[in-house]
Amino acid sequence: MQWPSAQPPPPGTQPPAAYPYSAATAFTPVQVRQTFGQPYSAAPPASYPPPPAYGPLPTHPPATQLHTNPAAPLTAASPSTTQEPAKKKIDWPESVRNYVQRSFQTSNLDPSVTRAEMEAKLKETISYANDQGHMYSVNWEKMPLPQEMIKEERARARALQQASNFSALSISPTSSKKRKSTDFSEGAAPPWRNGQNRLEDRITFNADKRPAPVEEAQSKTQSKFQKQLEKRQKRFDGGYKSTYREPTPPPSDGPVVGTCETLEKRYLRLTAPPVPSVVRPERVLRQTLELLKRKWKKEQNYSYICDQFKSMRQDLTVQRIKNEFTVEVYEIHARIALEKGDLGEYNQCQTQLKALYKMGIKGKSIEFKAYRILYFIHTANRTALNDVLADLTAAEKEEEAIKHALDVRSALALGNYHRFFRLYNDTPNMGAYLMDMFVGRERLAALCNICKAYKPDVPLRFVTEELYFESDADAAQFILDYQGQDLLEDRDGTVVFLTGKAKELFEGPRKAAFSRVDIKGQI
Amino acid sequence: MDSLIRTFSNAQTSRDGYQLAQTLSPDLPQQQLQAIWKSCGHHDAQNVIKRGIQNSTSGFEKLPKDEVQGWSDVYLAYWKAIGELLPALNQAPQSSWTKVYDAWKELLSALYRGYIGQGFEAWSIPCLYVVAKNLRIFALKADEERNNNVAAGDTSGQIFQDDFDPESEQHQKLEDCARQLNRIFTLCLNDRAPLEESRKWGIYYIINLLFKTYFKLSSASLSKNILKTLSAYRGDMPPLSAFPKSQQVTFKYYEGVLCFLEENYFQAEEHLTQAWSLCHKDAMKNKELILTYLVPCHLLTTHTLPSQKLLEPYPRLQKLFLPLSNCIKKGELHAFDLALQQGEDEFVKRRIYLTLERGRDIALRNLLRKVFIAGGFEEPKVEGGPRVRRTRIPVAEFAAAISLGSKQTLETDEIECLMANMIYKDLMKGYIARERGFVVLSKSGAFPGTGV
Repeated sequence: MQWPSAQPPPPGTQPPAAYPYSAATAFTPVQVRQTFGQPYSAAPPASYPPPPAYGPLPTHPPATQLHTNPAAPLTAASPSTTQEPAKKKIDWPESVRNYVQRSFQTSNLDPSVTRAEMEAKLKETISYANDQGHMYSVNWEKMPLPQEMIKEERARARALQQASNFSALSISPTSSKKRKSTDFSEGAAPPWRNGQNRLEDRITFNADKRPAPVEEAQSKTQSKFQKQLEKRQKRFDGGYKSTYREPTPPPSDGPVVGTCETLEKRYLRLTAPPVPSVVRPERVLRQTLELLKRKWKKEQNYSYICDQFKSMRQDLTVQRIKNEFTVEVYEIHARIALEKGDLGEYNQCQTQLKALYKMGIKGKSIEFKAYRILYFIHTANRTALNDVLADLTAAEKEEEAIKHALDVRSALALGNYHRFFRLYNDTPNMGAYLMDMFVGRERLAALCNICKAYKPDVPLRFVTEELYFESDADAAQFILDYQGQDLLEDRDGTVVFLTGKAKELFEGPRKAAFSRVDIKGQI
Repeated sequence: MDSLIRTFSNAQTSRDGYQLAQTLSPDLPQQQLQAIWKSCGHHDAQNVIKRGIQNSTSGFEKLPKDEVQGWSDVYLAYWKAIGELLPALNQAPQSSWTKVYDAWKELLSALYRGYIGQGFEAWSIPCLYVVAKNLRIFALKADEERNNNVAAGDTSGQIFQDDFDPESEQHQKLEDCARQLNRIFTLCLNDRAPLEESRKWGIYYIINLLFKTYFKLSSASLSKNILKTLSAYRGDMPPLSAFPKSQQVTFKYYEGVLCFLEENYFQAEEHLTQAWSLCHKDAMKNKELILTYLVPCHLLTTHTLPSQKLLEPYPRLQKLFLPLSNCIKKGELHAFDLALQQGEDEFVKRRIYLTLERGRDIALRNLLRKVFIAGGFEEPKVEGGPRVRRTRIPVAEFAAAISLGSKQTLETDEIECLMANMIYKDLMKGYIARERGFVVLSKSGAFPGTGV
């Protein structure tokens, strides 16, 4: 079983079928029909196949069905289109014509998408734009072709199916990736449409991923759009923090209480208040954590694990669960992220952990406070370092891991590379993953020191030992990496490093290494 | 309310912004606030105020219609805010500082609208000062009150976030206040009216408030954006020196501290020195604040320590700096470490710990210098020739000096590492001859700037 790499769909590829507010579309297919019927008279438009099953699920509540696009138009469309083409003459923009034309170019055709499906999709897209009055504002050049949209939808449907069936781990033939195009035109709902949470998933999707992000009839989407505008504005006039926080949403009736029983869930950024049926309660999340721990051990699939942990964190947050279990989730995610060098994720976790510990919730606070110090050494964030120092109690400063991190900090502050590399060799817990990130630049700094202070030379072994290289060869390689080939000399079997000749050789790289600190994900 | 409107009318006639601003102050005796609140009721407040404003000016001085509307809105908002403020001051059951904050924010918005669309003139900007200043105060109170009641359940939304946001939960209102102040900043900055009647004259007051807020939110870095914007507009801006001195000092102080936090010690020193020299001679608190950062700056840029006389009037600064500077002066390394540890909490609180820590270099330099001087002179080659100091000094001699205080012996490699640092930082001139185990110091100026 493999984790599908499907990303959330790019804007514009959302099936209009999922929009609950295209109520007015009942008659528009008339016009659409006209246009792409006319220029392509070669195409066989005479009889419309029944709509492909992109429409509502059989289980949809009737209201949704009434509003969904493809179902309604067909009844009204067929007679009026073919018989009274001139009645509602509309001047179609050139760009739309081109778009339709592009869709049917042989080079763009995809054998897995039938013509019928494409026509249905085109109709949806164009009539939607027309209803919303976007005909002229939409960038048709950029609009994905119908076949692309259809394939995207299929991929997403598969992903969802796989996500919801993940724990079952059975690869049923119907969820196989290699579906044939024939499966789609049978008229019945394809099997992956029956996933438990289809409806909710689609609703959360559609709030902001429209084909054209212009004014929406729906006020919710409208305010969302305004918020984004405002957000952008804020960023420009130097608003508060780069991650501008939206004003507090209207008070809800307290946190959500989840009712979802599925262990695994793909991560999706929330754009609307969470729906209880897709949120897992703590009881389920505890099982999820066990499952993920096993999986991580066995498969080491980071992108899967990270995604799953993010959705767990989201479920915890929306339910406002803050206890030792929450701490455990963040701690495990932080460790995994550290191991994989994913500093952005790691930093998000540590920020949460800091607050959770502060609330008095137990966990491995010593271990993580130590990481926090090392992290800020890496990002050269003096302000944050100062804050960390301010937060530590006298007792904590005596704890082994924290003391180690503090010693690392002071060794670096005083330029004591000798002590720094001794400490590097002896790092508790997973701190070495963090130290690995800045050991390179500290080696450069130390080399600069050595080159300026020692005359005329030192044995290479001295460099190896002081800067804690694995071997003389590694030390030599490091020097060679910075064009130091002329500085190494073999003297009766021992290699010496000609410090006196080095001059400013390592200065440039040192400066560069310190100026380009990766502060990804920094608060 | 009547007396308020009388003051309003006087201020309008004499175009006195500061007098006008007084009418929007919440810092009044309670009886007075009570009187304002009681002077009208919910149903007639709007009319009473509007009529008052309309009749306050007459004839030649008559206010234009939309300005009347604007000021009526302002005073109505003020009246409503007082209605929230009074119970909060008396800690009445249903009251809360959050409500006061929200009502006061309405007042600021009313003013904002007045400037944007209802023709409020620039001479009245002191109103903005008073209202903005108090908005910040109410924000702090609201946050404090809410954080004390955290047990009551944090209902602050943020359900759209994947993780909860501890910072913003703690500083919700203050963050909002920062956004409001930023709007006012833009309001002042973007005024295109000719300079003599421009809102640009309000800019430094607002900037200083913003800085204060950002520092409180521990996101001082955001102040950088303000400085950037400011320098982009510098051309059309009156020079800083044309603003009131109090604003200049505060601005220079913050600019200096910002540079200080970024380790730009030379620039920091420049700004802080300006603030120092402009500062009113009796503003002891401010002078103390300036020195808190100026002293460490000076230590790093010029390797000099504050004199007894300078610190004399500031007992707190003496306590802060004297132990350390004595150790540096005498080159007592171990005592320095202890003193640093002793004062750590205070230093960290003032964000000078990481800077003072680097004073250890100077302490070490002074110690090594003593070793060098103790080494005496070479045997003169010629009888009566110029005396030359002994410049080849065994590493062991330095090692002995370094472990003198702590009684801990360091490895030779570590001693050499410390030497290398001194040489690298140009605090000591010379080189280490590792194989032979001694340090060769420069004959002329082994310790630059110290006379040897």
